[in-house]
Amino acid sequence: MARLKLRLNSLAIQHLAFRVLAALLFAGALIFVAANWVSPLIFLAASAVISLAAVAAIIRAVRGGLAMRTSAVGAAQIADQRANLKGRLVTIVEVAARPHRGALWPYVVEDALAYREEFAAKRIERRRIERSVWILGAAMIAAAVMIPLARARHPSILAETGQPADLTIDLDDLHLRPADPGDNAGLEVQADSSTMGRLQAKLAQDGLDPGATSAKAPGGILNSARTLAQRVQNKLRGEQAARKHRLTLKLADAGGDQASNPRGDDSARRRQNRQGEAAGQFKREHAFDQDIPLPKIDQTRPPDEPQAAGGNGELQTPGSANSESSPDADSAPDTSDQRGNLGSSGGPAHGIGADPDSLFGAATKSAMSTEGFEISIEARAMAHGAKGSGQAYLPPKVRTPLSPEQQADEPIARAAVPAEDRTTIERVFER
Amino acid sequence: MSELADVETPTVADFARTFRRVQAEIHKVIIGHEQAVEELLSALFAGGHVLIEGVPGTGKTTLVKTLGLALDLSFNRIQFTVDLMPADITGTRVILSGDDGRREFTFQPGPVFCHILLGDEINRATPKTQSALLEAMAELQVTVSGITYPLAPPYFVMATLNPIEMEGTYPLPEAQLDRFLFKVRLNYPDEEQLVRIISSTTGPEEAGVAPVFSGAEASNRIESLKKLVREVIAAPAMDQYAARIVRATQPEHSRYVGESPRSMHDEMVNRYVMFGSSPRGAQALIMGAKVRALLDGRANVAREDIEAVAVPALAHRIMLNYAAHSDAVAAEQIVERVIKSASAARG
Repeated sequence: MARLKLRLNSLAIQHLAFRVLAALLFAGALIFVAANWVSPLIFLAASAVISLAAVAAIIRAVRGGLAMRTSAVGAAQIADQRANLKGRLVTIVEVAARPHRGALWPYVVEDALAYREEFAAKRIERRRIERSVWILGAAMIAAAVMIPLARARHPSILAETGQPADLTIDLDDLHLRPADPGDNAGLEVQADSSTMGRLQAKLAQDGLDPGATSAKAPGGILNSARTLAQRVQNKLRGEQAARKHRLTLKLADAGGDQASNPRGDDSARRRQNRQGEAAGQFKREHAFDQDIPLPKIDQTRPPDEPQAAGGNGELQTPGSANSESSPDADSAPDTSDQRGNLGSSGGPAHGIGADPDSLFGAATKSAMSTEGFEISIEARAMAHGAKGSGQAYLPPKVRTPLSPEQQADEPIARAAVPAEDRTTIERVFER
Repeated sequence: MSELADVETPTVADFARTFRRVQAEIHKVIIGHEQAVEELLSALFAGGHVLIEGVPGTGKTTLVKTLGLALDLSFNRIQFTVDLMPADITGTRVILSGDDGRREFTFQPGPVFCHILLGDEINRATPKTQSALLEAMAELQVTVSGITYPLAPPYFVMATLNPIEMEGTYPLPEAQLDRFLFKVRLNYPDEEQLVRIISSTTGPEEAGVAPVFSGAEASNRIESLKKLVREVIAAPAMDQYAARIVRATQPEHSRYVGESPRSMHDEMVNRYVMFGSSPRGAQALIMGAKVRALLDGRANVAREDIEAVAVPALAHRIMLNYAAHSDAVAAEQIVERVIKSASAARG
């Protein structure tokens, strides 16, 4: 009977251990999948639900295991029931401790011993391993399948393209608008104190003051939760990967420079700040101190193809830009085209990126264009989509033919500028 | 007890053999009713009394008479009527003249003084008369005019109830119902049994019953067998099982029921039962189970034994309410439901 009790209790412990492990393993796998597949807030909610379910499963497993524990009397009852011994064993186990067992006690013992073979431990309980091992195996298989799938699904564009994660942009060229609440992950703004001050002022002017939202307000709590979830997600994905995917936006302040420095004193610094700004917009700095070439304005391409960067000062992701342009565009060395010289040629890039340093030159003659015009709608850096999509938003190419009443864009030919007017023109373009 | 000491202590096998012999003798006369006969004998060896319920002509009186013949014990029969008085049962003191001419009160024993008493249609007597049996059944003694007269063991009362013709009857008081160990139901025989009854009772020869015990040893043998029944071991788990079943017959909302696990109470019990079984029901369960264990060649009580005797031991102790009568729910159904729940609970 002691052997049977030992076997039954061993099964009870296995039941508890296997089910708890299975619950932990399966819940962990699900959380890992959620960390890789869904946005932070959904991940937070999913993690909470999965955790609650796991806790419930663990509690149930513990209760089941404890309920399966058995005493000597319980083991005797089980043996009686399974071997159809009609209470012989439980009577012996319970009455054996009594001082007065009755006249029929020897008969009871002899009668029970006659069924010795029937209640051998191996006949009452054949299993040595509890059935819950199948649940544990299933959980392990599920985890083994889910985790690689989750890694494959990880929507990191920057990691996939291997592109640099730092962008430098002039504050004046920065167009601000309310962001998708789930779209702020991975963006870090760096600037000097005066530029940051101007950024705050600009945000306030546009009604986007980040300080206006209290941390205790629902939006603030939501942001905190999102941040927390993002951190957990990053940890689950691996800290290195998260850092690699982070986008650093470095702000340059041309207006501030103009206000604080006399014109002409810092033309070299301004040049440095604006170095590489494609059409006067931005420069990408390599995250790992590599000299990553800037998007190239390919003048050889047809006019209806988008350029490496839009002319309105909004950002276009490297990934999205690369998907549209030739691979050589990114690897091409920095050329004079990127210094605003393309403005002289008119056409779709006419008048954009007017760097005062390249405003003046020899007069050219432009032919009348019969082409339509192209509107670059929007392009912005988007490392992680708000809804968990793996691709950045690509602006649609809109080509609008001219109506009969319209006339084609007539580029202004570069003309010679009198020397006395150059200072005035430069100031106008600097603004 | 000194007489009992002379009797060889029976073994488990002796009990089963004797029981089967008596059973076989009874079935020489009684066709069918195997379960009823077994329950009757179980109650006898368990030291209890039996209430027999059956429609007229099902052999209630014949069964009891046959039992008396098979055991070779003294047998009396009382036909209960509405004008029957308690003294007609217990006996009374009468003035008798002695040989010397002196007159004195002498106790004249009533029909209750015997080994086997048949109270036929007991529900036709008034409750006062019915209650005259209480002391005899419970304490094996009769008190008349302040003098107590013991009854000779074994003492076995079998009362019959006619479930129809209820007009002019007096339902037995609950206290008296509770003193019957079992209530045995005799139903109409089936066609095959009926053919055998006709052929055995309408022929020129009557079936004869041979006594199992010889004369004077009968009472001693029966008492020793009753003692053996009490020696059967009931493990605490079995006592607990019986107690749980009895508790489960009590409705949850009854003010006489203390705190108990809610899971114990079946919805059917709560709906139809006014009063559940008394503790005597638990005693009846265990005693009946002990007899069944001996019949099975065991000296220990099993749950199966308890479940087997639950209906005859508990059904007559359960008082149903109006809703049960309205819905034609019988006490036997309640007990079966309780047993089913208890059996499922133990897995």
